[in-house]
Amino acid sequence: MTDPVLKVTDLYTHFETQTGTVKAVDGISFHLNRGEVLGLVGESGSGKSITGFSIIGLIDRPGQIKGGSIKLEGRELVGLAEDGLRHIRGREISMVFQDPMMTLNPVLTVFEQMAMALRAHENVSNTEARARCIQALRQVRIIDPQQKIDFYPHQFSGGMRQRVAIAIALLHRPKVIIADEPTTALDVSVQAEILVEVKSLVAELGISLIWISHDLATVASISNRIAVMRYGKIVETGPAAEVLGAPAHPYTQMLLNALPSRSRPGQLLATQESHKPGGESKTAGWIEQKSPNFVSVKHVVKKFERATGLWSRIGVKLNLMQPPKAVLAVNDVSFTIAQGEALGLVGESGSGKSTLGRIVCGIYHPTQGEIKLDGASVVSACQRGRKLTTKVQMIFQDPFASLDPRRTIGQSIAEGPIAHKLTTRANARDYVARWLEAVSLDRAMADRYPHQFSGGQRQRIAIARALAMRPDVIVCDEPVASLDVSIQAQILNLLLTLRSEFGLTLLFISHDLGVVRHLCDRIAVMYRGQIVEVGSAESIFEAPKQPYTKMLVDAIPKLISKRPALQDA
Amino acid sequence: MVAFIVRRMWQALLVIIVMSMLVFYGVFVIGNPIDVLISPDATQEIRQQIITQYGLDLPIWQQYLHFMNALIHGDLGRSFVYNMPVVELIASRFPATMELATMAILLASAIGIPLGIYAGYRPNGWPSKAIMAASILGFSVPTFWIGLMMIMVFAVELGVLPAGGRGEAVSIFGIPWSFPTATGLQHLILPAANLSLFKMSMMIRLAASGTREIMLTDTIKFARAAGIDEFTILRRHVLRLISIPLVTVFGLELGSTIAFAVVTETIFSWPGLGKLIIDSITSLDRPVMIAYLMMVSLLFITINLAVDLAYAVLDPRMRQGDGK
Repeated sequence: MTDPVLKVTDLYTHFETQTGTVKAVDGISFHLNRGEVLGLVGESGSGKSITGFSIIGLIDRPGQIKGGSIKLEGRELVGLAEDGLRHIRGREISMVFQDPMMTLNPVLTVFEQMAMALRAHENVSNTEARARCIQALRQVRIIDPQQKIDFYPHQFSGGMRQRVAIAIALLHRPKVIIADEPTTALDVSVQAEILVEVKSLVAELGISLIWISHDLATVASISNRIAVMRYGKIVETGPAAEVLGAPAHPYTQMLLNALPSRSRPGQLLATQESHKPGGESKTAGWIEQKSPNFVSVKHVVKKFERATGLWSRIGVKLNLMQPPKAVLAVNDVSFTIAQGEALGLVGESGSGKSTLGRIVCGIYHPTQGEIKLDGASVVSACQRGRKLTTKVQMIFQDPFASLDPRRTIGQSIAEGPIAHKLTTRANARDYVARWLEAVSLDRAMADRYPHQFSGGQRQRIAIARALAMRPDVIVCDEPVASLDVSIQAQILNLLLTLRSEFGLTLLFISHDLGVVRHLCDRIAVMYRGQIVEVGSAESIFEAPKQPYTKMLVDAIPKLISKRPALQDA
Repeated sequence: MVAFIVRRMWQALLVIIVMSMLVFYGVFVIGNPIDVLISPDATQEIRQQIITQYGLDLPIWQQYLHFMNALIHGDLGRSFVYNMPVVELIASRFPATMELATMAILLASAIGIPLGIYAGYRPNGWPSKAIMAASILGFSVPTFWIGLMMIMVFAVELGVLPAGGRGEAVSIFGIPWSFPTATGLQHLILPAANLSLFKMSMMIRLAASGTREIMLTDTIKFARAAGIDEFTILRRHVLRLISIPLVTVFGLELGSTIAFAVVTETIFSWPGLGKLIIDSITSLDRPVMIAYLMMVSLLFITINLAVDLAYAVLDPRMRQGDGK
């Protein structure tokens, strides 16, 4: 093999802040061969994104490259003046970001944005620019590019937007592309398509790619080599199959073992904490399932309608205006959950799964249909129904958004139970302490504010708050979607343990089939407001009946090799 | 889109009707114009005759209906003081104010937006800090005082610009405008600058905070990663993204400048609407007051509609989903 196209040696990128120096990248070295895909894996805060930004020379202040060298085909990039870097960006190294909704400018057409990127390095006439951009769009398999080029970003779906971003990154045929979590914001099926396309583009154009991601499985499916980062350092690097098949570093092992897809459903996942005695491979006991129709949802429909004013109602009557379109989020859904059972609700974005979760919890009032908990209605019958029970509680994806930043978490946890007379103001402290301990937090933490906790801790607090209401059913809406794998494993373990401890019934909503399979007994697959398939977790995975379910299951990126030891464990 | 405009027209009509009632009642309460209209030594007979002539003896709702009836026929009444149709009176003063307000707003935008973008782009440099400090002054120092200082410096001390009045006017489409002539421009520059200061400060602050926010987004990072130079980023990305709040303020300020340029017009003896309305209030010239206030509300409604339509042009996301 010839010289590597990119060679990074002893790179240090530090952020000088008032509270001290943050060593975001702390002496890393790696190289990228021509035509190779290098996966850069790590959890949040590991410095993987900062590495990408360091290479392309876009470190925001107060960040600074403190030392080391970045060589692109032998040319040194560190210490290059801003103007020199600008000539390299986009032309020789380009970058694709996580969320295409945020990276494309919403008020400019795709053509305007592409032409701007094209003209950053080349002088081209309008007609030529147009032809080149159409060509670039065709290359990323956008259908009908002649028309689509004049669209605005919001007229594209998430996957299409990411394709446009990739097309922009490819405009000048760069030598290196850095892709920073490019499929994290996308649905699994879309992610699978993008992965296939990027792979073929890399092969076709001979581009070298750095694929930055927190997700081992996607990285595994695309990369030739993998580098694992932690605390600003590369802990392990090597061919993808080797790193994933026989990880040498304990951190890589831990990351792998934390994946739900690598362990038996229901088993506690390996975490850093689980090295404590008794923590290893304990299976959470199943609870006896009573009352098969504990939660029953019958023919539930939810329409979201725009509120109509007097004038528009007259307008509709006189046929001057179209009646406002109602969005049918949930379309005639029925299912039951047995007492103590965990039902997984999976579906892609926009499938109505979150709406359904909120209806079950009594936050939304269904347009039609009924939800019963142990035979009693969850919401009152009238049009603007009120929630009647405290026996159903909910946990949301983003615990930071659902906790009041100006109250201590003790106050937040105690608020509901006091209002519903589950405890008194005088006893609240002890009551809160009990639930904090139930989720393995220290009772002294009750006096802290939400921003003083990490993401995983905040999710524990959210769980404690839900538990403090003494619910029978907990609706979890993507509770681990924004967490790192190792933290995700901790929260999943906690949910498994609590479930058996308190005899909880769970409705677990997630887009991540691996997580759902691990935690749930049965799975319901939702597509466009309807449940297309319900079955035991195993049957959904092993023998999906509906084509949609099959597509979803196939789209999950898989790790190349599984350790045989795990399969018969 | 059509449905949207039709709906807005309905709303506008409703606002105008409510406004006319409020204005009519409000002006009715202020006082009886008859005391201003006729000399105190007129006989009771003449007094009664004039009251009947103007319909001032009727109950207020009848007077209102008479007024509305005339309005529908395009007649806003005659000024008690000038004894000429109100429409003509306002039309004769309107170009002067229009000219002054437009000039002020253009000055404010042309200077304020670039300064604001610069201040937002380099928030920590000393020029930005100076710009932001100056914009606070522009907010807080009263207009009349700055106006007087401007007259002191440019007209009295330096003697380079006239202290007041309107310059030579040329007629374009039958309307007298002064900005195309040299003297007209000389007369216009001081009052326009004075009137624009407050608006300029507002534009600076809005543009600066918008730019600061947008410079941190991924859109800008992505543009930089594509190698686009900073000037193009500011001109094409940032300016487009901050334009929506700017247009809102531009519209609101254009309206209020036309309607309430009173202070500046008074200081620089600018023969515009502001002076007319002050005069008509002191002399209780009821038809002028009512017509003026109705014109102002119509103006605001029109500008707001224009601003809403401008949103649709500026932000493609708002174009879809209209007409529902």
